[in-house]
Amino acid sequence: MQTKIIIKSLAELPTAPTTIGTMAWNQTGDWRYVTPLVADKLAPCSQNCPLGIPIPRYLGAMNRGDVGGGLALLMAHNPLPGLTGRLCYHPCQTKCVRRKIDRTISIQKMERYLGDLATDVTIEKSAIKDRRITVIGSGPLGLSCAFYLGCRGYRVTVLDPSGQAGGALVDLPPEKIDPQALSHEIDRLVRLADIRLETGAIIDFDKPGELPAKADIVILDPTGLPEDFCAPAGAVVCNPFDDEAVTGGIISVQLPQNLAPFKAPMIAHYIAAGRLLARKASDGLRPAGLAQPAADLPLQAVNIDNIKIERFPASGPLVETESKQEGTGDREWALQEAARCLSCGTCNLCLQCVSYCPDSSIRPDGEKDTVAVDLDHCKGCGICAYECPRGVITMEDMSV
Amino acid sequence: MKKVMMGTEAATMAAKLARVQVVSAYPITPQTVIVESLADIIGRGELKAKYLPVESEHTAMSSCMGASLAGARTFTATSSQGLAYMHEMLHFTAGERVPVVMVNCNRAMAPPWNLYCDHTDSLSQRDTGWIQYYCADAQDVLDAILIAYAVAEQALLPVMINLDAFYLTHTSEPLDVPDQAEVDLFLPPYRAPHKIDVDDPKTYSIVCGADLFNSIKYKRQGDTLAVARLWDQVAEKYNSHFNRLHKTVEAYRTEDADLCIVGIGTAAGTIRLAVDRLREEGLKVGSLRLAMIRPFPLEALQRAIAKVKHVIVIDRDVSFGAEGIVAQEVKAGLFDHRGDLKVTGFVAGVGGNDVTVDTIIPLVRQAISGDGNAVEAGMSLWAEVLP
Repeated sequence: MQTKIIIKSLAELPTAPTTIGTMAWNQTGDWRYVTPLVADKLAPCSQNCPLGIPIPRYLGAMNRGDVGGGLALLMAHNPLPGLTGRLCYHPCQTKCVRRKIDRTISIQKMERYLGDLATDVTIEKSAIKDRRITVIGSGPLGLSCAFYLGCRGYRVTVLDPSGQAGGALVDLPPEKIDPQALSHEIDRLVRLADIRLETGAIIDFDKPGELPAKADIVILDPTGLPEDFCAPAGAVVCNPFDDEAVTGGIISVQLPQNLAPFKAPMIAHYIAAGRLLARKASDGLRPAGLAQPAADLPLQAVNIDNIKIERFPASGPLVETESKQEGTGDREWALQEAARCLSCGTCNLCLQCVSYCPDSSIRPDGEKDTVAVDLDHCKGCGICAYECPRGVITMEDMSV
Repeated sequence: MKKVMMGTEAATMAAKLARVQVVSAYPITPQTVIVESLADIIGRGELKAKYLPVESEHTAMSSCMGASLAGARTFTATSSQGLAYMHEMLHFTAGERVPVVMVNCNRAMAPPWNLYCDHTDSLSQRDTGWIQYYCADAQDVLDAILIAYAVAEQALLPVMINLDAFYLTHTSEPLDVPDQAEVDLFLPPYRAPHKIDVDDPKTYSIVCGADLFNSIKYKRQGDTLAVARLWDQVAEKYNSHFNRLHKTVEAYRTEDADLCIVGIGTAAGTIRLAVDRLREEGLKVGSLRLAMIRPFPLEALQRAIAKVKHVIVIDRDVSFGAEGIVAQEVKAGLFDHRGDLKVTGFVAGVGGNDVTVDTIIPLVRQAISGDGNAVEAGMSLWAEVLP
């Protein structure tokens, strides 16, 4: 109801000068010359992550007690969290803003905790497409590529000539990665993306009717095959980071110099290469005339000056819960750690803006995990942007 | 129950008997006793109320307004500079129609600094829209505060109860403290009619265009004027409970008087003694204590001086560039009412000068004969001035 009540007599006047009825008719939005823009931004940790994982988002889900949801959000960007949680050089942590207050969030340990969970998650998948892709080699690049292609609905087969899946990871010493954790990671990846994995496969590119020949695309995974593996004649050399388009046929993946030969701490870069390759290969297979699916807009980096660290209290002394193995944490630890995340650039519905808006013009968005501005009434005072402690709200000149 | 109390203690006792729910105040001499002892009482749990030790009088009045809008019976006390510091919020509370009751201890305005009795502090807040009552003694303080809550909550207007600094705030007098049960009968809990309600959100102290502004003020003017009669009605009701009458105007020996001495506050008692002395000398004198200054008790004043020929006003205050403020009020009230009336205004007893029988009598003689020590300044005559 947005009708203005017209007072026609002294008797109708309220005794105290208060509003009567609603004031919603008074649309003050046109007073505004700068507009609050509520938009999640890339946190410094995510900016430094080779996989661009939206770390505050999955920690946010955990902070709400939804550990499974946290794992699903993580796996959408990183299908092998148990491996990165053990091997990655975690550049995310060196940029963690929390270190200015007390100490960085243990992101790597968190990934390992989530990766080791026995819980299964649901991953968003497209409809099944009648296209076949064969990945030869089951190293981190090949598995990642297979995972994302599987999620896009392709029929994916991973063939590994060796007896054990994992490629270069198999050769790592057990103190770096124990075989059990490796098979846990690979099993889950294969299961979630509906991949057919065949170890001890005999690879014969020339035999008609065999898998490689039947596939629309064959991808040779440099992290999954021995160095002396010979690509067949006619294979197209492709660098997933630099090459724009990936066409059908046999693709021999060539990694930049800093990634070859395989280096375990760089695991996130191989997973990233696999993901990139999957996207480009999928683009190449799309029938002509079919519109490209709307890509997620790349998030803008959060302005570090907008993270108001002085408003966050230091957390208490580190609570070390007993863990069976060095570098692991339990659920209690994980929830405590997730709660410490400042959620830089990521709305976590703290509702500070809602409390401070003098005009009730910013409210929780009913459908999304964020807030929405009522542009019919917002006067553009900017208090919400000032009060947002994590740089999600910025005042923008929308007239240009 | 009979007790001996200072005016400040009587004020504290009245706030307790009224079961105030929020007290927000900043200490200032000579009000300090009131807020200190209320803090003690609340701290000991003898009064179930929230005490807000705020950082200034401006905040004291702002928080009283908020508390009152939230439906609480609210009390504060201040004096002089503190009252001046509240000025902006005095307009707000009256305009927002919240029934805050405040004790003001009348003390001189600086500079020069002076802690003693002077009415300029509260009289210079006349136009804020507050009801103003000036007490005669400690019993009047206790009773008037209870009456004030009943009036304020009915009229939805704030009431200022004024106590002369030291003459009343710090003088011990015997008084009768009513029973709590009887007070509860006289003064039921406050039910705010336009209370803040999250289920029915409103904007308070709204912006208002010219279309409604004057009508809102006109309505408030009518409601404020009506308080002169309302107070006397509530005072009668109080009288029926406690057998003590505290009306807006208190007349003494005016029935056959030619001359009437008008004053406010504690001086009224001394003026009555002077009246008796002058009567012994054969002068037909009476006196009038104006207990209420806002709204101005026009009808009661006109009735009381119906036969009087000469009115003498003693002001413990001044409006610089004009004259004593009470004299001004009396003249404005009588203009067009009685053309044959003479009004003489004195400024006396400011900043701690005692108003005694011996100071009043020479002023009366000067008003009659024109000869005396009080010196002329504009329309008023100033006593106690260096030669």
